[in-house]
Amino acid sequence: MHNAFDILYNGALIIIGVLLLACLVRAIRGPRIADRVIAINMMGTLVVIIICILSFLMDEGYLVDIAMIYTMLSFLAVVLLTKIYMGVYREKRRQEQEDERHD
Amino acid sequence: MIDTIRLIASLLLTGAGLFCLLSAVVGVYRFRYALSRIHAAALIDTVGICLMLLGVIVATGFTVASAKMLVVIGFLWLTSPVSSHLIGRLEVTINDELDKDAAVMDRAYVEHEKEAELPIETAAPTDKEEDA
Repeated sequence: MHNAFDILYNGALIIIGVLLLACLVRAIRGPRIADRVIAINMMGTLVVIIICILSFLMDEGYLVDIAMIYTMLSFLAVVLLTKIYMGVYREKRRQEQEDERHD
Repeated sequence: MIDTIRLIASLLLTGAGLFCLLSAVVGVYRFRYALSRIHAAALIDTVGICLMLLGVIVATGFTVASAKMLVVIGFLWLTSPVSSHLIGRLEVTINDELDKDAAVMDRAYVEHEKEAELPIETAAPTDKEEDA
């Protein structure tokens, strides 16, 4: 019975690994910044699923703590990235307006 | 007997979860614009992780680890809408040619997003109105 669970979750891990690679390709190719941030967010969630499955397969309960911290870190990363890119855009826009004013 | 029921339940939940993950990734590739891709990507954060972790919880049984997995699901359900909203705001703010990409848009909201945190006298709308 334990063997059947092993086969099931090893197959799931393989499929999730392929999906993770597909998300990485999207993050590299994505034409806009928002596409890249979306792909990074998806990758964070997939990694959380992988860690939870590993904690079952290896029978180590503490791995779920790492998954919880990874969830919070991935949310923080999205918030920081969006704030930084909005700040960069607004700074650029303000610079352009000042240049127009001086001309 | 009880092990067989657990195996079948976790097989069903994991299968449904893998289908959701797969359709989310396919959606991210098939949609053509970032604001539509948010729609597909949110599928992973809500129903995908819920079904996969419920499968793992059924397989593990009632332990402290499975309670922590429930906490992970709850936290993602709280934060995923916030991060989707932030990504949408980012796209609306930094895209200067939103008319081409989005069929429907709220122009007043877009201008408000672009001009936030700027000093009032340097804000663009007054200049535009004088030009017009």
